[in-house]
Amino acid sequence: MKLLPLFRIIKKTDKHNFHTEFHVPITSFVLLLFGGFVAGSFGALLGLGGGALLIPFLVIVFDIPMHQAIATSIIAVIATSSAGAAMNLERRTVHIRLGMLLEIATVTGAILGGITANYLSSDILVKLFSGLLFLIAIVMIFRARRHNGQEPVYTDGSLPGTFYDDADKKIVRYTVKKIPAAMLISIVAGNVSGLLGVGGGIFKVPAMHILSGIPMKAAAATSNFMIGVTASASAFIYFAHGHLNPFIASTAALGVLAGSMTGVHISRRIQSKALAWIFAIVLLGISIQLFLR
Amino acid sequence: MPDSAYISNDAKHKTEHWTSRVLLISVWISASFMIAGSLIGEIFPSTIVVFYENPTLGNLAMRILSGSFDPVTLMFAGLVFLMLTPIFRVITAVTGFSAERDWRFVIVAIVVLVLLVGEIVYSVLIRN
Repeated sequence: MKLLPLFRIIKKTDKHNFHTEFHVPITSFVLLLFGGFVAGSFGALLGLGGGALLIPFLVIVFDIPMHQAIATSIIAVIATSSAGAAMNLERRTVHIRLGMLLEIATVTGAILGGITANYLSSDILVKLFSGLLFLIAIVMIFRARRHNGQEPVYTDGSLPGTFYDDADKKIVRYTVKKIPAAMLISIVAGNVSGLLGVGGGIFKVPAMHILSGIPMKAAAATSNFMIGVTASASAFIYFAHGHLNPFIASTAALGVLAGSMTGVHISRRIQSKALAWIFAIVLLGISIQLFLR
Repeated sequence: MPDSAYISNDAKHKTEHWTSRVLLISVWISASFMIAGSLIGEIFPSTIVVFYENPTLGNLAMRILSGSFDPVTLMFAGLVFLMLTPIFRVITAVTGFSAERDWRFVIVAIVVLVLLVGEIVYSVLIRN
């Protein structure tokens, strides 16, 4: 069911649909911008690409085909990552070396995911997407309750990192453990990213935080840094298959850019514990929304 | 882990700084294209020329070089520039790690770059 028309045709000048004159109604334009803004804000706050929010929004509100929604989401993921990472890098919360290392796995997975997605129907992708979100939401709620937001920081690993935590007013020092395990999960994260248009932070953030012992803020910032490259790995495949609608993608991307910059600023004043809870609750809400559709 | 390990790690932040700069500049360039395309399309809808299918990267470059700044071309230019942004930042990382003589991570960044370029070549091939 389409809630709002995305385009209004003004004049068709030939039967092949070249030179069709139309425009995006201002309500749809503003709503797309707003949807992108919300997705970008949460994406930056939680180390996600925003796709988990943007795809249901595009599919439910505008009835956009799943492949186009995924392609738009991939653009949004790149926008979130680029804007957020630019600020997080200066703030030194990104572990750039760990990010680059894990990108080998995520990019490989994303290319395979992007190729696979184009052989699957829109209905199958929607079912996979809703199932994925439901599963992740449940896992995250159990994890958030069990760990109660505590930071399992290790100092006997490799690739030492450090950053200043604005919320806790202290310098946090940590090292990275279990890199091979994190790489395996990153392949899955990349594959899901390429297949379903999410950033893959839903896998990488918990993996880096719980498995590798990276503080939540550094894990979210490093994940946010990585998802741009992961999304770029499948973006050109969707573009080549013609799934990228410039009107939808550019409007949503502009909203996402503004939202992700806002989200990064807000994240400075939010505790890690609150961040973990928001992560779980937002995912549960989206998964229920998609199941009810 | 001794304090010196964290300090030496802390000192290696030029790569982070330049990567941040590249990301910001690329984002603003792509956003400028998209804003221009969206505004022109909203204000002057008669200027919109709809592509029958997504243009190839070559077609898009040709349209821009020939001065064809219709809204759809501008939006696509912004989107493609945004899609290339992560690749620019990997190139910056290769350069930054090289300057730091961190050869292990130069190789890591080059592997990522090769994978990304390979994906673009693949997408060009499936389009043709």
